[in-house]
Amino acid sequence: MNTLTASAAISTGRVELVAFRRESLALARWRVLWIALVFAAVAAAALLRIAYLGLADHGTTRTSLEEALLPPRGEITDRNGVPLARAFPAYALWYNPKALGESGSPLVKSPQEVAARLAAIFPELDEIDVAERLASGKAGYLRRRVLPEDANKVQAIGELALEMPRENDRHYPQGMLAAHILGYVTPDGEGKIGMEQVLNERLSDPVTRSTPKPLSIDIRVQGALEDELRRGMLAVNAMGAAGIVLDVDTGEVLALASLPEFDPNAVQSEDLILSDEAHKRGETPRAFNRVTNQVYELGSTFKPLTIAAAIDAGVVRDFGKEWNAMPVQVGRFTIKDLHPLGASLNVPQALIHSSNTVTARVADELGPERLRRTMMDLGMNERPYIELPARGFPLWPGKDWARLTNMTVSYGHGIAVTPLHLASAYAAIVNGGIWRPTTVHKLAAHEVPRGRRVFKASTSSRMRQLLRMITLYGTGRKADAPGFRVGGKTGSAEKPGAGGYKRSSLVSTFAAAFPMDRPRYVVVAMLDEPRGTIASSFQRTAGYTAAPIVGKLVPRIGPLLGVRPDTSRDVDLTDLQALVPEKD
Amino acid sequence: MSGSRLHQIGWLAVLAICGSLFLALSFRVHAVKSEVLLAERQIIALERETLMLETEFEARANQRQLAEWNEVDFGYQAPRADQFFESELQLASLSAPLGPAAPSPIRVARADNATDGAAPSASRTMVSPVSGRPVTMASAAMPGATATVAEAFGELLAEASPVRSAQARTLLSAEAAE
Repeated sequence: MNTLTASAAISTGRVELVAFRRESLALARWRVLWIALVFAAVAAAALLRIAYLGLADHGTTRTSLEEALLPPRGEITDRNGVPLARAFPAYALWYNPKALGESGSPLVKSPQEVAARLAAIFPELDEIDVAERLASGKAGYLRRRVLPEDANKVQAIGELALEMPRENDRHYPQGMLAAHILGYVTPDGEGKIGMEQVLNERLSDPVTRSTPKPLSIDIRVQGALEDELRRGMLAVNAMGAAGIVLDVDTGEVLALASLPEFDPNAVQSEDLILSDEAHKRGETPRAFNRVTNQVYELGSTFKPLTIAAAIDAGVVRDFGKEWNAMPVQVGRFTIKDLHPLGASLNVPQALIHSSNTVTARVADELGPERLRRTMMDLGMNERPYIELPARGFPLWPGKDWARLTNMTVSYGHGIAVTPLHLASAYAAIVNGGIWRPTTVHKLAAHEVPRGRRVFKASTSSRMRQLLRMITLYGTGRKADAPGFRVGGKTGSAEKPGAGGYKRSSLVSTFAAAFPMDRPRYVVVAMLDEPRGTIASSFQRTAGYTAAPIVGKLVPRIGPLLGVRPDTSRDVDLTDLQALVPEKD
Repeated sequence: MSGSRLHQIGWLAVLAICGSLFLALSFRVHAVKSEVLLAERQIIALERETLMLETEFEARANQRQLAEWNEVDFGYQAPRADQFFESELQLASLSAPLGPAAPSPIRVARADNATDGAAPSASRTMVSPVSGRPVTMASAAMPGATATVAEAFGELLAEASPVRSAQARTLLSAEAAE
């Protein structure tokens, strides 16, 4: 019984053991299977991930090459493709106090030390101010523009808190050159003043901004014009100066300068708005364009327009005819010459010596309606035709001209226009009589406007002779650059002030064209309130102040513009020479 | 039965090979794609650098700076009217005066009259137009030059060779008379 029970107990224990072994084996198998499955799943996931990384091309779809190379704002170039304004990925210097983590000092070195190192790189930086800003722990710009080489030096300081983010910036490589034509861009990307404002749409449109926009100006001519104008302005201590070089056959502006100028790379608020004291002194903001926006009484430079109108109308046919040059009494006004030139003068002499009395008498015979018609044909009664947004409205004498108005307009008083008006009128005089609107866009041959005829071609060729005679024998002698056949007219007008004209302040202008045997370019130089200095032999009139500017400018720009100086060529003056005994 | 099983295995193998080939090809394509992307990034970086350098160059060489250098450092002035030439003739008039024994620069064609009986000077040597001294040309010093050139570079290049063209000369009077 005992043995039986014992054997039974053993057998049941063995059975249990076998069952237990089987169970644990099965469990172990399952566990191995599960682990293998997990491994397989991980491996499959890894393989899938590899396949995904290998096959998916999400990396390439981020930006295309064109998009990446598309400038944020289009480029402006001159007529030869020299960049004048371009989007420029510049560095800025940003102070980020959180760069080393939230807590603790934002800088490794002391703020004073870092400020001293920064001031060594940027000498114009205020060291104490920068040290205070670094110590205050406030994020902000330390500098908006940093050159790459300076950026490297800042990196070498070794402060992580000094960050150099790349920012898209508008850069004008030529600095202040052509600032009034180009304008500037505000920090929020809005074009202002010049072509930046006019072309704002085109320059920001992704479709059109990839191709640079050429302007009509030639940067070499612009540089020479500004250089000579500045020198002329400083030599006579003038308040301002304006100059323009215009293609007579197309109306393209090759250079346009208004001094003093502003720097589009760093526009200051006083460039745009003047303080009250400066305003009282009669100054204009630097961003103000004297060529297209400021109207002046341009004085004697109008005389050729009057004479041209008179020749055109048949009033002046005989150039040898003597005109009375004694003072003209009109009502209670007397028109006199600056220097009395004798009892009578013929028309060439009147232009050479700039006689007000003869011009007034010619205009009187021409009549107010015909002179008014000519002035209107030359666009003197409307804003100048140019794309720039700043265009001044002329002071126009209105509809019915009195006899006195007619006479004063004939020598450039009682009418105030911009220097640009004058330049396009002179272009019409010398180019065969066609007036064309001026433009700062580069024109292809087929885009040149037809213009409108103001003078007969015969009148134009007569005027070329007369203008040439003024620089050969008359008031414009200082503008006669040898070999360039310059012809032009001086004009010195007193500026109107409170209670009549101010005798002390003049506007001296010289309007010229060259070469006179086949005119290609008109040059106008104007000085605002020149003073008599040693450089101008203590004279303020245009013959001593504005004419020398043209005389020095033309030899610089002529060869660049394809006008070869040649002393063996000139306009044929033989029929008029005999009429001016002064030529010797 | 075993044959069809073998077929099945064969098809599976073909499928596996095709699949792996396809996968390898796709990987290759995408590898090339990322290379292109890398190249594009390099292009962009280089373009930006070019723009930067160009702008810096333009800014440093701006018109005002150039005018200042021209005036202050070099003293350049605008060219005068007498510094321009009308024609080549005017340019030639500036050349150096002739040496004492130099022949007249104007040559006149001459046909020797055979009836004179005078032997035409066949051995006239070439003289320098400036000094009047006889000149030995490179081709004369190397009689077989053309042949050497032709041997080395072929007939076509020998035609264009300067060594050959240097042998060109005006006809001697004896040849001209024939």
